[in-house]
Amino acid sequence: SGELYCSLPNPRNVHFESVNMKNVLHWSAPEGTGDGVLYKVKYSVYGVGKWIRKPECRNINRTWCDLSNETSDYEEQYYASVKAFLNGMCSDWTETTRFNPLTDTKIDPPMVSVSSTEKSISIFLTAPEKWKRSPEEESVSLLQVYPGLQYNVSVLNKKTKKRWWFSVSNNTLVVPWLEPGTTYCVSAQIHVPTPLLHSGFSKEYCIATLKDK
Amino acid sequence: KLFHFGPCRVSMSVTEIRSGFTAIKANIQARDPIRTLSILSHPHSLHKVKLLDRCCITHHLFNFYVDKVFKHCKTEDSYINRKISSIANSFLSVKRKLGQCYEQNKCLCGQESKEKFKQILANYEGLNVTSAAIKSLGELDILLDWIEKSP
Repeated sequence: SGELYCSLPNPRNVHFESVNMKNVLHWSAPEGTGDGVLYKVKYSVYGVGKWIRKPECRNINRTWCDLSNETSDYEEQYYASVKAFLNGMCSDWTETTRFNPLTDTKIDPPMVSVSSTEKSISIFLTAPEKWKRSPEEESVSLLQVYPGLQYNVSVLNKKTKKRWWFSVSNNTLVVPWLEPGTTYCVSAQIHVPTPLLHSGFSKEYCIATLKDK
Repeated sequence: KLFHFGPCRVSMSVTEIRSGFTAIKANIQARDPIRTLSILSHPHSLHKVKLLDRCCITHHLFNFYVDKVFKHCKTEDSYINRKISSIANSFLSVKRKLGQCYEQNKCLCGQESKEKFKQILANYEGLNVTSAAIKSLGELDILLDWIEKSP
């Protein structure tokens, strides 16, 4: 590409940061370079012979590039690479390790909603959606991507501080035999047994059981 | 976990195999500099294999890994070697179970699965033995992702 010899230090720590399969390439500026460094990005599908340039990330001064669109097929694996430019000098291309969207993504906590009766609470859980190109595109739940997906649910009695743990596969959990007129707080986490993945816990949702009539 | 390949049912400790692979993935894949060639996923993706052919392809792939891959993956790192041999042992037991299905004609091989596996062998034989074995080992997650997708 016309660059004879590249003496600029390489970009550092080139890696994918992925949440719900929104796959963003990140890197750090080359050592010892201040402002003014520009970058270009390319990516490749593992096993396919060509690197593809990402036009929207050409001559950029930020140190990230959203490659979600280019890496949305999670049955494939990918590499990405970054090159730096400053004052007519350039660096070598610096690559990521092999990126597998299915196993290397992080998962957000589930959405939680609760309702109560006198002696029970019902917990409704919703797994996050996979990243999609546009709001009009059909939504794909991570439940479809990871059929073995489960929910770990914590239920805390605010009065007695007693906590129960549940592990459920379907998205509704009814906790019976509770005390009327008592506040219970619920938090939930996603757990995928294989490939092993788990989300953080959702924030707590508290609800009071109805008082005795 | 019990996997159903048509009439053939095979229990497999996928979680154990996965955790073994996760521990060595970065190290093994870093030893494979060839980005432009894949043993399992190109030019034909495992994900395009028909349901009927899954058992036969899985049977051949477990034989392939036991007979042609693990034994050529010795490294200078004893930790890596231990992980590889524990994965190999897990594969060995699955290979036997699939072999029984094959002998009992519960694992039929159609023309398409033969072609598919021939392509995989051609990819493998296109490299020298050590490079091919290391590349195949580095693609274990491709195999596991595909197996776990089975209904």
